[in-house]
Amino acid sequence: MKTLFLTTQSLRSFSLLMLGALSCSFSGVLLATPPLIKKTAPFQKVTSSSQVAAKPDKTATSTSVEEVPASVNLSDFPAASVEDVVVPVPSEIFTVLDKLGNPNWKAQLNLHKTLIPSDRPHIALLLGCVIAEGFIAVEAEDTERVKELGQDVLKLADAINVRKSVISRSKSITDKADHRDWHGVRVEFDGALQDVRSAMDEMNDEDLAQLVSLGGWLRGTNALTSIVSAHYTSDGAELLHQPELVHYFIRCINGMSSHLKQNSLVIAVDTVLKQIAPMIDEKKQPLNHKKVQDIQDKTHQLVLKITTFS
Amino acid sequence: MRSCYRPLLFVTLLLGMLVIVSTTQATVDDALSFAYEAALPYSKQYAIRKDSWGGDLGIKQRKAIEAQLFKGNDYRFFMASDIKGAIIEVHLYDSNGKLAELESSHKSYEKKHFTMASVHIIPKATGTYYAIVKVVKSPEERTPWALVYGYKDSK
Repeated sequence: MKTLFLTTQSLRSFSLLMLGALSCSFSGVLLATPPLIKKTAPFQKVTSSSQVAAKPDKTATSTSVEEVPASVNLSDFPAASVEDVVVPVPSEIFTVLDKLGNPNWKAQLNLHKTLIPSDRPHIALLLGCVIAEGFIAVEAEDTERVKELGQDVLKLADAINVRKSVISRSKSITDKADHRDWHGVRVEFDGALQDVRSAMDEMNDEDLAQLVSLGGWLRGTNALTSIVSAHYTSDGAELLHQPELVHYFIRCINGMSSHLKQNSLVIAVDTVLKQIAPMIDEKKQPLNHKKVQDIQDKTHQLVLKITTFS
Repeated sequence: MRSCYRPLLFVTLLLGMLVIVSTTQATVDDALSFAYEAALPYSKQYAIRKDSWGGDLGIKQRKAIEAQLFKGNDYRFFMASDIKGAIIEVHLYDSNGKLAELESSHKSYEKKHFTMASVHIIPKATGTYYAIVKVVKSPEERTPWALVYGYKDSK
């Protein structure tokens, strides 16, 4: 998504300029845009922070605090004025998981040897899964597995022509795992995910980049549901409340090329996402134990398909 | 005779458009650099994401940005623009449209020629939140902006 915004923006600007050139009413088109937010509630004053200076800069000036609406009517936002959700990196979720007591992470480890698939969508999904697996291995503090997964990331990146983007990450994963610098390893796996995605975006492989994120999300969700299911708590189940993210992934697949949409694995992913979307959509109450198990089963089958080609 | 000028006119028009498009892109790039610069003082405490949002907005125009936030994390969003004299702001709302931030601020850096806004949130619940970005004031008709965010354990 967001790594693409410059291109999207340029295209939009280009289209608007074309309109302007043709009709000589460019500024009219822009100024005709209606207000996007309806102020629906009394205003509330928000504290202004004074510690945001990038570096001590005597010329930095804090402007006066504006009244901030205490609420907005989100339904007033036209679709075009809402930017898609950014996919959280695994460590955003794993930091929270650290607080869920001391789950048996070793039991969550998938010890299958990583095979290299022949088709690119499958490689992309597997790459995402392997990176998420890296986080699980970090939680399990399994040095050897972390190192293996670091190498697997490199092999898969190579198979998809983005090897260069992760060479140094792969080496750092090995070095930091040897020193049991688990925080450092997490940073490197996060970085590998972002670097691979950026490299794919640069090669105009945005769809494959999304599949990498999807693979990571699926494996992460599979592990999360397994952990929460083993010792169910509403706090744990709340972590699954990611409705817009699931809808975003469904929209991504829907927008992919027909060639990708016909890929059997992509079809399987789409089916599972559509099955779990209504469960994750439930508002105001965490998912019950049965639904968590249901999501676990569905994501487990899918991750098996991706990792073992079964 | 007239038809001879048509290709020339078209090429000139196209080149003009490309120059303007690349200028727009350059300023969004600049806004992004400044957003990262605004986040810099926090980079030791927060992991700053590489992903970003951006574009350009008219005066008083707003845009909503969806973000999946997790209870247990602490987030800071940094918005910046390279338009001197512009005032921008960003605020965070939950999925019911209620203001959910702890604090927000906006500042201008005359020396560095950029303006920034930031917002801090420790979500009370896991879910979708909306960062609403706005150009309050600007000397330009369209103001390029960029937004990045960082997260850390809320302890």
